[in-house]
Amino acid sequence: MSAVLGPERPQMVSHVQQALSYTVFDCKWVPRSARLMCLGSAARGTGVIQLYELHGARLEMLREIKKPKPIKCGTFGATSLQQRYLATGDFDGNLNIWNLEAPEIPVYSVKGHKEIINSIDGVGGLGIGEGAPEIVTGSRDGTVKVWDPRQNDTPVANMEPVQGESKRDCWTVAFGNAYNQEERVVCAGYDNGDIKLFDLKTMSLRWETNIKNGVCSVEFDRKDINMNKLVATSLEGKFHVFDMRTQHPTKGFASVSEKAQKSTIWQVRHLPQNRDIFMTSGGSGSLHLWKYEYPAQRSKKDSEGSEMGVAGSLSLLQNVTLSTQPISSLDWSPDKKGLCVCGAFDQTVRVLIVTKLNKI
Amino acid sequence: MPVWLREHSWRQSLTAVYLSLPLRGARATAANIFCSEQYLKVSIPPFLFEAVLYAPIDDTNSTAKIGNGNIFFTLYKKEPAMWDSLTLANADKEKLQHLRENAVLKAQEKAKEETEAKKITKQEHKKYALEATMKVEEAERKRIEDLKEKERQKVTKELELWKNQQKDGDKYKSIQTKEEFHQEIEPLKERKNEKMNKTQIPNEASSKTRLKSTRGHGSCSIFSQDLKEEQLPAPRAAATIKVNFTPRVFPTALRESCVAEEEEWLHKQAEARRIINSDLSELEDLKEEEKNPDWLKDKGNKMFAMGDYLGAVNAYNLAVRLNNKLPLLYLNRAACHLKLRNLHKAIEDSSKALELLTPPVPDNEKARVKAHLRRGTAFCQLELYTEGLQDYEAALKIDPKNKIIEKDAEKIRQLIQGTTQSS
Repeated sequence: MSAVLGPERPQMVSHVQQALSYTVFDCKWVPRSARLMCLGSAARGTGVIQLYELHGARLEMLREIKKPKPIKCGTFGATSLQQRYLATGDFDGNLNIWNLEAPEIPVYSVKGHKEIINSIDGVGGLGIGEGAPEIVTGSRDGTVKVWDPRQNDTPVANMEPVQGESKRDCWTVAFGNAYNQEERVVCAGYDNGDIKLFDLKTMSLRWETNIKNGVCSVEFDRKDINMNKLVATSLEGKFHVFDMRTQHPTKGFASVSEKAQKSTIWQVRHLPQNRDIFMTSGGSGSLHLWKYEYPAQRSKKDSEGSEMGVAGSLSLLQNVTLSTQPISSLDWSPDKKGLCVCGAFDQTVRVLIVTKLNKI
Repeated sequence: MPVWLREHSWRQSLTAVYLSLPLRGARATAANIFCSEQYLKVSIPPFLFEAVLYAPIDDTNSTAKIGNGNIFFTLYKKEPAMWDSLTLANADKEKLQHLRENAVLKAQEKAKEETEAKKITKQEHKKYALEATMKVEEAERKRIEDLKEKERQKVTKELELWKNQQKDGDKYKSIQTKEEFHQEIEPLKERKNEKMNKTQIPNEASSKTRLKSTRGHGSCSIFSQDLKEEQLPAPRAAATIKVNFTPRVFPTALRESCVAEEEEWLHKQAEARRIINSDLSELEDLKEEEKNPDWLKDKGNKMFAMGDYLGAVNAYNLAVRLNNKLPLLYLNRAACHLKLRNLHKAIEDSSKALELLTPPVPDNEKARVKAHLRRGTAFCQLELYTEGLQDYEAALKIDPKNKIIEKDAEKIRQLIQGTTQSS
């Protein structure tokens, strides 16, 4: 593991810190703006959505929306840049899409799952990727469902356990491989350490593996390209980076893993402007900034002549400890390189700026 | 008694006295010489030389040179004057004593003062060193803070700039959308291409300087968006993918560090299930399979089928010793006892079986019916017809459609009525 030297290392500068009166579960930048959304659960068990704007050295709250059920996760991934609708999953299993200008009635609503929606992702919107805009939700009831906002009530794809099989909680979902209109994959991580890759074009399971620890977060480095890298983080401080370009028939994808800290790694997010840099957030309140270096040759032939991938190496660029509680959510701004927001369980949301990313 | 050294010789100048003292073979070190302002003593046991000096000398600057069997003193006078003699003439014993004591005291005081002075200087040095290091560290810290502060300010400025850009961008966009509106409404109203061009051109002219670049963008985006909307594929055909999970007994999430403990627990449970009451010494002689109650039950069943009722009873006995919670063992043993006409034992076993078959669920219906029937038969054979009837009726309640039970129940009723009638 190589290290970037002293003064040239990216610095994580804490820009703004805002105390909230509720538990924040997810925070996201509103695309093409200096505004951010915080989603969470108020003390009396109702949901809260707050919209903030960056003003100098502080966050100014523009709007607060209250909902009957606590909200666990949200995404802007499936809306157009003009509409910027927010899709949220709540503790009751409802998927809603809100127009933030008129948030009383959702634009789309469905009771998608029987239990809490743990994770949500969107693709096809914001001018990124091709194909129909779709939203995927993963829930504690063990199912992963893909929704199209134009189709009410039923999902367009449903990944559910076989009849009679005991279910495992799905903790995280992510879209990837959306480089043309037909191709799309969904990656799901479960609490028993399973990672499954579903191909939506052929409606089949493309790959699965088990990383021996519950999977907290998965993300492709880019949703809209031929799938390149997948990072999966887990309990016990480990994360794995899979090289998704070469799939071996039996061994699957090559991977490199790193143990960053003793506590759970809650989230991983790739920098939108550079797909080889990503940040992981940990249960000890710390953020680690990593860089992936590709190997000299990304694939090689094994003894039977089939192609297998070669994993690269990871280097830690910087780390900082911001809080004593886990940092459960993290989002990079797609518009300003190095600007990111993170929400922690100490009821604070922090805006950070990571400097010197141009030099990496 | 000390030996006095008297063969000393001395010279003097105006400011100093030079005294030479031969040592008769004795070796001298600095510790042997004691000198104060007016008293000089050299004591090398057993030799002794002392002199109460004529006038005070400066004892701090005076020196003594030891060498060649000789001590050479250079004593600097306090007052430059010529001495009449080295020592005071009238050496009164008491005066001498007094002088000696004074000298010793003075020397001691001096020593004390010196040590104190040393201590103080040492402390001051330490303090100074500490302050110096603190200053250095402080400077370092400040330097780092300044660097960080500079970064922060730079970054904040950049952020403000970017934010303003965004705001302007939004403004342009809102103006754009209004113009787009105009554009769309006009052709819809009139549907003439020339008119559309007309409205386009004046707009372009007015906003040429500012909005030109974004304008171009804007029109591209409208068109591209329309195209995109047309090109959006229809919603996917709904489908389901069935998923199998890596099996896991516990409902909690998998953690590598807990895997060992979980394995241990599962192993323990399995052991507990297999071996109950296995602390009997005879069991050590048995083979592995003979310790398994299920296997023994099967063996017993086979023997019953072949008519070896005693053997079957033995097999069931052993199985019960291993695991006394399996109702089927008692049930089958009851059947054996019936055949062997051990009626009381049959009743016992059926009762035990029924006990274990609580709670009554559809799963163990058949077993309960059998248990009741067997007990009923045993009662009847003991001529306890009322109890027997009770059991038959219970069996009938569980399984009302069984004609055989009905017929038998009827028979027993007849018998009871017959006996009551006759008695």
